[in-house]
Parts: sequence; structure tokens; C-alpha cells
Amino acid sequence: MRVSYQWLSEYVDLDGVSPQALADALTSAGIEVESVSPRVERLERVVVGRVVTCDAHPNADRLKVCTVDVGQDTLLTIVCGAPNVAPGQRVPTALVGAQLPGGRIGQAKLRGVESQGMLCSAQEIGLEVRWLPKAQTEGLYLLPDDAPVGADVAPLLGLDDVILDLSLTPNRSDCLSLRGLAYEAAALLERPLRFPEPDLGSEVLDAGASPVRIELRTPRCPRYEAQVVTGIAGGPSPLWMQMRLLAMGVRPIDVVVDVTNYVMLEWGQPLHAFDFDEVRQGTIVVRQAQPGERLVTLDGQERLLDEDVIVISDAQRAIGIAGVMGGENSEITASTRRVVLESAAFDPASVRRTGQKLGLRSEAQQRFEKGIDPVAVRGALLRARQLLQELAGAAPVGGVVCAEQERRPQPPMVDFSPQRANQLLGTDLAATEMAQIFRRLGFSVERVSEEKWQVRVPTRRADIRLEADLVEEIGRIHGYDDIPATLPLGPTTVGMRTQAQRLRKWTREILAGLGMNEVFTYTLGHPDQLNALRLAEDSPYRKMIPLLRPMSDERMALRTHMLPGLAQVAAYNLSHGMVGGSIFEIGRVYWPLELPLREQPQEVEQWAGLWFGEQPVRLWQAARAYDFYDAKGVLEAWLTSLGLGMRADFVPIQDRDAPWLHPGRAACVRIDRELQVGTVGELHPETVQRLGIGGAVYAEFDLHKLEACLGGAWKAQTLPRYPAVRRDLAVLVPQEVSSAQLLAKAAQAAEQAGDILQDCRVFDVYVGPGVPEGQKSMAVAFTYQSDERTLTDEETEAVERAILRAWEQAFGARLRGEREAGAE
Amino acid sequence: MTFGMNTEQLQADIDNIRAAALRELEEIENEAASGADHASRRLEAWRVQYLGKKGPLAQVSRQMKELPKEERPRLGQVMNEAQRVLQDRFGRAKQRVEGLALSARLRQEHIDVTLPGRTPARGSIHPLTRVIAEIEDVFLGMGFSIVEGPEVETDHYNFEMLNIPKDHPARDMQDTFYLTEELLLRTQTSPMQVRTMENMRPFAPIKVICPGRVYRRDEDDATHSHAFNQIEGLVVDRGIRMSDLKGTLEQFARAVFGPNQEVRLRPSFFPFTEPSAEVDVRCTNCGGSGCRVCKYTGWLEILGAGMVHPQVLDGAGYDSREFSGFAFGMGPERIAMLKYGIDDIRLLYQNDLRLLRQFSSVF
Repeated sequence: MRVSYQWLSEYVDLDGVSPQALADALTSAGIEVESVSPRVERLERVVVGRVVTCDAHPNADRLKVCTVDVGQDTLLTIVCGAPNVAPGQRVPTALVGAQLPGGRIGQAKLRGVESQGMLCSAQEIGLEVRWLPKAQTEGLYLLPDDAPVGADVAPLLGLDDVILDLSLTPNRSDCLSLRGLAYEAAALLERPLRFPEPDLGSEVLDAGASPVRIELRTPRCPRYEAQVVTGIAGGPSPLWMQMRLLAMGVRPIDVVVDVTNYVMLEWGQPLHAFDFDEVRQGTIVVRQAQPGERLVTLDGQERLLDEDVIVISDAQRAIGIAGVMGGENSEITASTRRVVLESAAFDPASVRRTGQKLGLRSEAQQRFEKGIDPVAVRGALLRARQLLQELAGAAPVGGVVCAEQERRPQPPMVDFSPQRANQLLGTDLAATEMAQIFRRLGFSVERVSEEKWQVRVPTRRADIRLEADLVEEIGRIHGYDDIPATLPLGPTTVGMRTQAQRLRKWTREILAGLGMNEVFTYTLGHPDQLNALRLAEDSPYRKMIPLLRPMSDERMALRTHMLPGLAQVAAYNLSHGMVGGSIFEIGRVYWPLELPLREQPQEVEQWAGLWFGEQPVRLWQAARAYDFYDAKGVLEAWLTSLGLGMRADFVPIQDRDAPWLHPGRAACVRIDRELQVGTVGELHPETVQRLGIGGAVYAEFDLHKLEACLGGAWKAQTLPRYPAVRRDLAVLVPQEVSSAQLLAKAAQAAEQAGDILQDCRVFDVYVGPGVPEGQKSMAVAFTYQSDERTLTDEETEAVERAILRAWEQAFGARLRGEREAGAE
Repeated sequence: MTFGMNTEQLQADIDNIRAAALRELEEIENEAASGADHASRRLEAWRVQYLGKKGPLAQVSRQMKELPKEERPRLGQVMNEAQRVLQDRFGRAKQRVEGLALSARLRQEHIDVTLPGRTPARGSIHPLTRVIAEIEDVFLGMGFSIVEGPEVETDHYNFEMLNIPKDHPARDMQDTFYLTEELLLRTQTSPMQVRTMENMRPFAPIKVICPGRVYRRDEDDATHSHAFNQIEGLVVDRGIRMSDLKGTLEQFARAVFGPNQEVRLRPSFFPFTEPSAEVDVRCTNCGGSGCRVCKYTGWLEILGAGMVHPQVLDGAGYDSREFSGFAFGMGPERIAMLKYGIDDIRLLYQNDLRLLRQFSSVF
């Protein structure tokens, strides 16, 4: 909210308090001032000038040569290009040497005529043209006829003012008014308050003499007061009022509307003025709108209303939407003579809903929805009546008419204990100091006992209802800086990550150590991103939970799959000059139990990795695309680091499990041969094509399932006491025999032949010259070891023969002789 | 042939052989400087020649047995002396030739040590998760636990239980992505305050932090994101004071931003804390003297905090007359940006490997 320093200083003594000092005090008390800036950057030597004569320029059709009285001995000759210039006008006149926001004015010759200054437009003197009526922004800015010739324009228009821009928290709606700010500033700066609070008790309610009748037919209007005035002479409000409105960012319109706005800024109470001659039967009814009821509002729009909307109507028809905007049918016009002023309280939530539904956000609405001070309802009405009398020649008809559904709220009493306040703040303030703070704020204290106070809070501070609110006032006014820094005194607690949290942290560290780069992607995407995944029509992955009101198509639903996000990262990097990379993300996917959504979805913590493009170039290594075994190697190292190396196995995938993977180059990862925890594989060629990232290997794991597999306590193995024997075998087997099958058979045979096989692994696979068509040579390294003795050659050879026999029976394997090996 | 002549003859032979051998050795040594390999082969041949069993000295030795007994010792001395000298000189020559041969080999074997090493590929942890883990570690060290909760939240926990009823203006502070009337993407991690209290009641003290993603209807720009992270903190116990909040956050600020950090609380408003505060730290860029980063204030706002509102405590099952607590919420994106000098929040979600790979060399 924009606040005029000059206007505020009328209601609180700011003598010697600079705008910046005021701003600092407000900010440190929680009323954040975002900026402090002069209303007009620089304006010097601009005075009121009266155009005396105005003649055509001898050398230019569009220019005029004027003589202007600026209160000096001689008239100035000024060349002017504005179309609306005419003798008798009073206009802002920049003298030679004047400083305007747009630059300095010097003496200049315009088409052969010397110009001793410049006649100015609103824009040129820095007025807020966006809030001025268009007529006043075109051509010269015309000053009223009583503007004193020769007077400095800056103070005359309040252009020497300073504007504070406030960013208010929603609880401090009291500061949406100069009255509230004046109270606040007075309390903070300990300065005298000068806001004139009318004596409400002395006002005689003479409802009988008023021509207006009020009926409240909805509980959402606790109070409605009205005052009829007559004899309105329309036209603009005085210059000072227009300037104050402009300074605060409100558009001047005419004297009646300006007065209601002026009082709203002053009191925080929105007022509305109806043309009383349009209020049929002089009756104002506050009610809920009827379904389908329509009203053309002041902005010329026809609004469709519903039963939730509170309307102001006369005996026959709606004439305004309560708290939001008036109706066109009862608008103040130039011919309006009788006006009924409305000052009321409406249900904040209802006003808020209505404004949101209609897409309106008026100044009035913002104040109503945050709650208004019930005391201000009357105060503001009386102030507006007074201003209309003074400025518009109005005369009251009868007194204030008041309809209320509840008694005027009394200032609430809030219990307060100085000891508890100190306890909650961690301070050691004296009770007298706290009492002093309440006094500064205008709260009154009744001491029931030393430790039990009752604090009477004025109705303007509706944000204060509980003791904690009062404690904040104490802390805030005293200053948060004086709160010491301590640590909680309670028992010591142990801070530890849970197993799931440790798994994620460990995984990040291990995989970063293994060369992968962690990424962090958005979880909102578009269902079309799934098209690359070759999913079945009824695939659960297609159930992305949509947002009700997305901000963009790109981010309209919650992801069910990690691949599209990672693929986007790959595409981005490939298009920015990188040849490839290995990336992973730990994040959630969101799987609804059903759509439309009824309850919270499953949020499943996943690990997903993508190896795309080429590996980074290394010394003496040719550039090479990532392949399945690169990924598998990393995953094996990771699983081993989790103690799952021996328990995990990779088995060929079923096409259904992961249609985005190449069916012949993908595996499921199982733990203990039963629980599937993840998949890994090269992307399916169709997926690759649709993602547009070239070949890539993708893996994903369910971290929750993986966590369930993690072992508990671990103990080191005793070191073997007897030496191990290493032997290699190379055999020819049919192509389709997998490494896992071969090794499993070996382990089985070895166990039967004497339990001495410690380890066996494939170290070479060869297909080519010397190996018959349809076969491959597999070289396996065996390690034999016993806990009890040093092994003899006979023992290991016996086991080796058993393995070869088993292989031969199962796969028709033949030992690859030395002669054949020589053929390589 | 007299005995005497024979003796003299043999002595002359010994002297001649010795002189020839030494000459040859000198030659070999001289040659070693230019061709150590050849020299060491010649040296070996020399050893066989002069010190071997078939060499000329051995021959003379055998002839000496023919001499008369009384002649032998004298000639024996000459022979021993010659053998000792040759042995000795051979040892020295061998050392020298081998030394030269080794240096020659080492020269030949030199490699370009400026070529890159075969580093095992090193990856990186994302700056955001780095910062989150760092903050977690600080609070773990202070005895906090880490809790996590759903991102798809109910209106009830995200708003109602936090004193933000429907149609309340405070809802404007956070524009919300709704999924249904009742379900939404959480706008803050604060719903975890209530969930944690409900789970833990009547246990005290509660000391938790809750990191996680949150969502708001903000247009993405350099400082705003429709999705970002928060770390919520909550402490509930008997006798918790606002000064404890300040002290705890001061510890945090010093651990994360440096030992000389200060924190400043400024009054503010959150519907679920009372009193409420914005919390600033000394500008990490200028140290407080004022710069562009802190808009010349010397302070950076990094989190919001306050004492848990009595209605929130009561609603979650902790009697506000008995218990009090503090809560805070901070944005790891902002902290990562300040810490690592990243000036656009979108960079954290762009995942440009040129940026991410830099984090493999951050200790």
C-alpha cells in the first residue's frame, strides 16, 4: 500500500522524524516498508502561471506563442505546443533553469521565437498520470482558478511528499488506513497522536427524520448505517483532495466519490455512495442474491450473481454487490443531487469469495475481507458527511440510520500474565515496562493481581485475541533484538537418520563416487511425456494426477514415472554440447489408487538412473557409448556397498515389466531370487526414437523395497588359514547358455563333489574363428579353498571333473583344448 | 733353463698381464659413457678373461707349481697382489658401468608426467541435496530427528490445522495447486508440524526437522519457482522460549554460514505462529557492510519462524497451557544459491552437467 508521509504526519506528530526513520521504525516492528521514495524525483522552479495571451506562432502551425504571468514584473513569452492552451488558464510553468523529472529547462529558441520557459502537462511535472482521468493527461495540466499565480507548484500539489510503500501482513488490516498507521507510529515513536476520533456517544440518531429505510435480510451483514445528504453540487473535489488520493494511488473522480475514497484511506472503512433518487421507495435491503440474478456493476460489466453473494438492493432490484462494487443503476452522476452514504460491515469470507468469483479485487473488498473496525463504521460515516457538507455544499437530511443484528462489539478483554510473557519470550522485562508498552499502544490494563492482568484491546486491533498476541506486542515494541539467544533446557535427545534416510544419503554418495551426477527435476509434467514409454492403454503409469488449475500445459500433472524427467535432462545436455553422461535422481512418483482422485496417492520413493551418449573421453580409451554392462557394473557396485552384492541377481526381463526397455537387453534385479526391486536395460529402440536422445541405458529401483532388504548387524569373516587354489577352464557351450546358468550348474556340481569351491566367475566370452557356429567359448576362473586343510591337486581336479561332467550333461559343453585355443 | 730365469720370466708375465688387463679395463670404462650396454658386455668378457679359471693369470698360477719351493712365496705374493688389484679394479669398473647403464635405461624409460592420470570417473551430488544434507547434519547434531510427509496434502493439514480457514486472506500468502476440493500439493512443510505432534503425543520433547518439496502457483523466474524445497523445524516441550528459537537458529547460521554469523529477528506474521518473526543473517557476500546481494541492508532474510500458535498446539493434542514450542521454515534453494553464488533458481532445476560436475570438487 502506498502511504503519503505528509498526510500521515497530519495525524501523528512526525516532527523531526524523517520518512526513512519512520520506515525503519515500522519495518522493525513488523510493518514492512518496501520502499521510501519521493513522490516526484526532482521538481524545482515550477510555478503557477496564468496564460495572458495566446497567439499563433509565425513560423509553425502547431505552436502558439503565449505570454504568461508568473507573478514577476514582466510577463514571460513561452512557446507552447499543447492543443488545449488558452488565455486565462492557470498552468504549471517551468521557469528557465527549472528541474523537471525529465530534465532541465533552458532558454530556447523555438522556430525563431525565444521561449522563456515551458508550460507543463501532468506527465511533465511527474503526476501519477496512470490514475488521472484521460482528459487531464492530454495537453497542459490545468490548475484551478484560485491557484495563486507565482506560487511554487511542488508544495501546492504535494509533489514534495514522500511515499512509503508498505507490504502488510494479512493480520494488520488496521494499517490499511492512515488512522491505524498513525496509532502504530505514535506507539513506536512515542509521539503524540493527532487523529480526531469523533465522540460517537454524542451523535443523536434521528432515524425518524431520515428518508431512508434499511432492512437486513441476511446474517452476513451485522451492521449497516446510512446517511442521506442533499443539495450536492457535483464536479471535481478540491485540488488538495485530488492530490492526496493520487499520492495514495487512488483515481480522483468527482467530489462525492472522492470523499468516500478519502475517508476509506483515512479510516480504513470502505464507504459507498448511491444516488438516492435511484433508490426506489427510499428502501435499502441487504440480502443474499437470488440464483441467476444479474447486475451491471460500475465498470459496465454485467455480473451473474448466485445465492452466496450479498447484494444491496432497493425495494425492487439490486443496486450493488456488498463490499465489492456498486451498481451502475445507482451510480453518482453529474446530475446527482441527493446521495445516501453507506457504511457497513459485511461477512469477510463472503466478500472474499464473491470477489474471487467475479475476478474483482477492489480496495473496499481488500479491507472487508480482512475485517474492519466496527467503531469505524460510524466514525467514517460522520467524517464523510462532514466533508460533503464542507466541500460539496451538501446538507444532511435527518441523521444516521443504523440497522444492526448484534450489539456493537465491546473492546475485548484479554488475560495476560507478565511472568508468562517473559517465560515465552525468554526475557526478563519488568512488569512496569510491559504496562508502558500497552499504554503506548492505546491498550488499557486492569490488574486483577500481580500475575493476572486484563488488557482491553481497542476494536481496531482485531488481530489481538489471545495472550500470545499480547506477548508478541510486548516483544515487537520492546524489540526482538533484545531477546537473548539460548538453547532449549530439556533432556538431551539423540538425532539420527532413519534407515530409509541413510539409504538415500549413502546411495547419493556411492553413486557420485562411481561417476554418476545427481540431478533434481520437477515432479509436474504432461501425460504426453509418457508416449515414448510404449505403455499399454490401461497401464497404471498413464494415471497421472492432474492439477485442477495448472499454470501451463507443460506442468499439469504429477509424474508417475522417472524416465521422462531424466530424458529431458539428457536431451538438454546433448543439445548444449555434451557428448553424454550418467545421471541419477532420487525422488517420488505419485501413484493414485484411483482417478478421479479421492484420497492421497501413494508417494513412492524411487531411484532412477540414465546413462546416455558417450562416456567421457579418457586417456588411451576410444570414445564409446554407454552400454548395459556399464550400468550393471555401477549397480552391482552400489548393491554390493549395501551388503546386497551376493543376494542380488539380474534375470532377463519379461517384456511386460518394462516396455520402455529393449527386451533382449534388459534385466530385472531381484533380491534373494524373489523380490523384484528394480529393472535395468538399454532403452527400446522406439523409446529412444521418441525421446530423441540416442541410445541410453535406464534403471530404476524402488527404494522402499530395497530398504526392506537391508541386513541388520554385520560381522567380519575370519581370514582363511589355508591357501586358495586358482584354476581356469574354457568351455564351448551353445550361444543361448547364460553365464548365470553355467555358474549355477558349476556351483551345484561342486557342492556335491566336495564343498571346496569358493568362487567362480566368467572372465572371458569369445565368439569367432575357432569356435563352431552357434557356440561360444566361456572362460571361467575357479577359486578352491578349504577351512580345514591345504587342498591337494587330486581334490581340486576331482571337483573340476565333476563340474565338466555336469556342464556336458546340461549343455553339451566341451572343454576347449589347447590346440583350439591356439587358433584364436 | 735355470730356476732363476724361470721365476723372473713368470714375474714379467704377471706384470705384463696385469698391465694389459688394466689398460683394457680403462678402455671399457671410457667406452661406458657412450654405450653402457656394450661396455657391460665387454666387462663381463674381461672378467672371464682375466679373473676366470682359464685366463692367463690362472695359467701362470699353474706354472708356478713347477717352481722350486723357496721361490714360490715371493712370486705368490706378486700373483696375489696382481689378482687383488684386478679384482678391486673390476669391482669399481663394474659399479661404474652398471651405474651408467642404469642411468641410460632410466633416461630411456621416461614418461610424460603431464599427461592426465587414469582417474576413476567421479560424479557429483546435486547442490540442493548437498545443502539439505548439510542442514540436516547441523540439526542432527543438535538432537533433532528427520521426519518426512506427503507432498499431496489435505486442506485440513496444510491450512485448517494451521489456523488458515477457508476464505481467509492468509491463503493469499500462498497460491495453491489443488488436485480436488480437499487435496492439494502442499504449499509448505508446516503441515508436518501437526502430523508430527499427532504422531508423537503425548511424548516430549519433540525436536524434528522436515525437509521436502513444496509447490506454489508462482511463475518461474530467477527468484521464484512453482516447486521448491523447504526445511521445517519444530521443537515442542515444557518451557520452550523464543530465546531458544533465536539460539538454535544462531547455532544453525554459524554452522552453515560461518562462525561469526549473527541472526536478527524481525516481527512478522504467520497464521500458525505467535509471536512470529522473519529471520535474517549477516549478508554472506559482504559480511554486513552492504552490497548488491543484500540490497545494501547488510542482512539477508533466510527463514520465517515463531512460537507455535496456542491453537495449533491445542489442535494437535499438546495443551498450550503446559507446552510451548517454536517452529521455523527455511528454503534450501535460497541457501544453496547464497552459498554457491548461483543467481537464478532455475539453474538448480536445469541440471546442466557443466554446472553439476563442478560439485564433484566441492569438499
